[in-house]
Amino acid sequence: MERVLGGPVLWIGLVALSLFAVAPFVWVLLASFKTRVELYATPIVYLPATLSLANYVEAWTSRLTPFSRFFANSLWVSSVTMVVTTLVSILAGYALARFRFAGRQTFLLVFLATQMFPAVLLIAPLLSQWYALGLIDTYQVLIYSNLSFTVPFTVWMLVGYFESIPRELEESAMLDGCTNFGALCRIVLPLAAPGVAATAIFAFVASWSELLFAITFTSQTEMRTLSAGLLFMVGQYEIQWGQLSAGVIISTVPVAILFTYLQRHLIQGLSAGAVKG
Amino acid sequence: MAREATLAAPVVRPLLSRRARELLTGYCYLIPVILALGCTVLFPILKAMQMSLYNHVLIKPQEYGYVGLANYARLLHDEVFWLSLWNSFVWVFGSVTFQFLGGFAAALLLHQPFRARAVVRTLTLLPWIIPGVVVALIWEFIYQPNYGLLNDILSRAGLMTERIAWLANPSLAMPAVILANIWRGVPFFAIMLLAGLQAIPGELYEAARMDGASVLQRFRFVTLPMLKPIIVVATATRVVWTFNYADLIFVMTSGGPANATQITSTYTLLQAYSNLDFGYAATLSVTLLLIMLAFTVLYLRLTRGLESVA
Repeated sequence: MERVLGGPVLWIGLVALSLFAVAPFVWVLLASFKTRVELYATPIVYLPATLSLANYVEAWTSRLTPFSRFFANSLWVSSVTMVVTTLVSILAGYALARFRFAGRQTFLLVFLATQMFPAVLLIAPLLSQWYALGLIDTYQVLIYSNLSFTVPFTVWMLVGYFESIPRELEESAMLDGCTNFGALCRIVLPLAAPGVAATAIFAFVASWSELLFAITFTSQTEMRTLSAGLLFMVGQYEIQWGQLSAGVIISTVPVAILFTYLQRHLIQGLSAGAVKG
Repeated sequence: MAREATLAAPVVRPLLSRRARELLTGYCYLIPVILALGCTVLFPILKAMQMSLYNHVLIKPQEYGYVGLANYARLLHDEVFWLSLWNSFVWVFGSVTFQFLGGFAAALLLHQPFRARAVVRTLTLLPWIIPGVVVALIWEFIYQPNYGLLNDILSRAGLMTERIAWLANPSLAMPAVILANIWRGVPFFAIMLLAGLQAIPGELYEAARMDGASVLQRFRFVTLPMLKPIIVVATATRVVWTFNYADLIFVMTSGGPANATQITSTYTLLQAYSNLDFGYAATLSVTLLLIMLAFTVLYLRLTRGLESVA
């Protein structure tokens, strides 16, 4: 029994699992290299005759759906969201991990609860709020809105990281004349660096994927992020599957690279947070 | 542990001033987060509650005005709303059940030692991290009736004679979007349960083996009980998240055909985007919020019950 489970069953399972996870990606990756004739052939041509980059070039330079512009927009919005999220949540996470003040438990509960609030719930009130402030079609508005889902999660993660760092180190630093803020910057942050990096990447990836805010709070083509741009492309009169596949790959590669780094930290953080919550 | 450390540190300053200072510094550090979430979460939620009491249709500004609970009365008589609740239930139940089963199997497989494990792990976790719109478009392409992958595979295998328009068929559209969502969610359970498996001490399995427990018995009496807390938390998180998740269906079918895939969250979007009915959209948002709060309370009861048993 154990030999069967360890041998054939394991291998068949692994092959099935990998196929299930990877086949859809491979399908789109192949499509992104196909010519128009190959894309619409029946029966389906699975392998493109040449690895043509025409779809990528077209998508990247297209005037109607300029992926170069979408890419730059996504990069800027996600990067700034990442920086702001990290700064805000370092301070909040540290305060909640170290100080015992009235309302601390309430704060922690609020962060846990806000993680469950969906974008759908915020769309209508946020739109009327941003509209009243004249912030539609700006980068700021996307960055502010993204904070609503990045910050609760990163604060929650960082509280855990900071609590795992021994207090004695900061206390001796403070005895040596460091201010509390100085001790945070010089002692705690270097020790918590892997955790902080992981939460920062999480914030980046989450804003990179964001769709609903991006399509609601922007209307001009040049303000679209990749997610919004992809959806806009579908809305055109005929779906260009070749260009669309290229766009899909362009949107996926950066997060895939970041994720391979993030994976290790995220598994630990998630399970720690989950067991505590 | 933190308390011990405080006691062990030499007491240089009087206790009261230290506490007062902690309080002050703590609140200062929290100002940015209060501002950030206050403007983007708390205020909008209050605003939504207020908006739900108004007739607020963007294209009919002359009809704007306070209507009390009229929007909620309309909700109770809205057949599409009740249909969307039922669809949400099917969507959540179908997605989470199979995500859990698939993710559990994946976690058990990925926990075994084998060559190239790191590569396989990363690959199988990828569907979880890519943007939702990308997942939706990949599967829309797979389901495409004329040159999509699924119809081609089925007809080559001799299982299908006529091309099927998966997303345009009212009885097939829901299973189709659920399958896409399963693909996306399996890695979530895999990652959580894998972390849980890694945290089980090896000695437990050793002891069970000494007592003559078979593979299945070890799974039943060691693995399952040890994973129970993480299973409960992961499932509850996923249920809430899936209930709220609109992107996938919004991109793939927009709730169609004929509301066959209209879940409550996409129905809210429809009211805001297509009908520009912000009052009613806000009413739906508040209702979603209430349903979620009810679920959270239920969930907290459940986990507390678990702790007292354990």
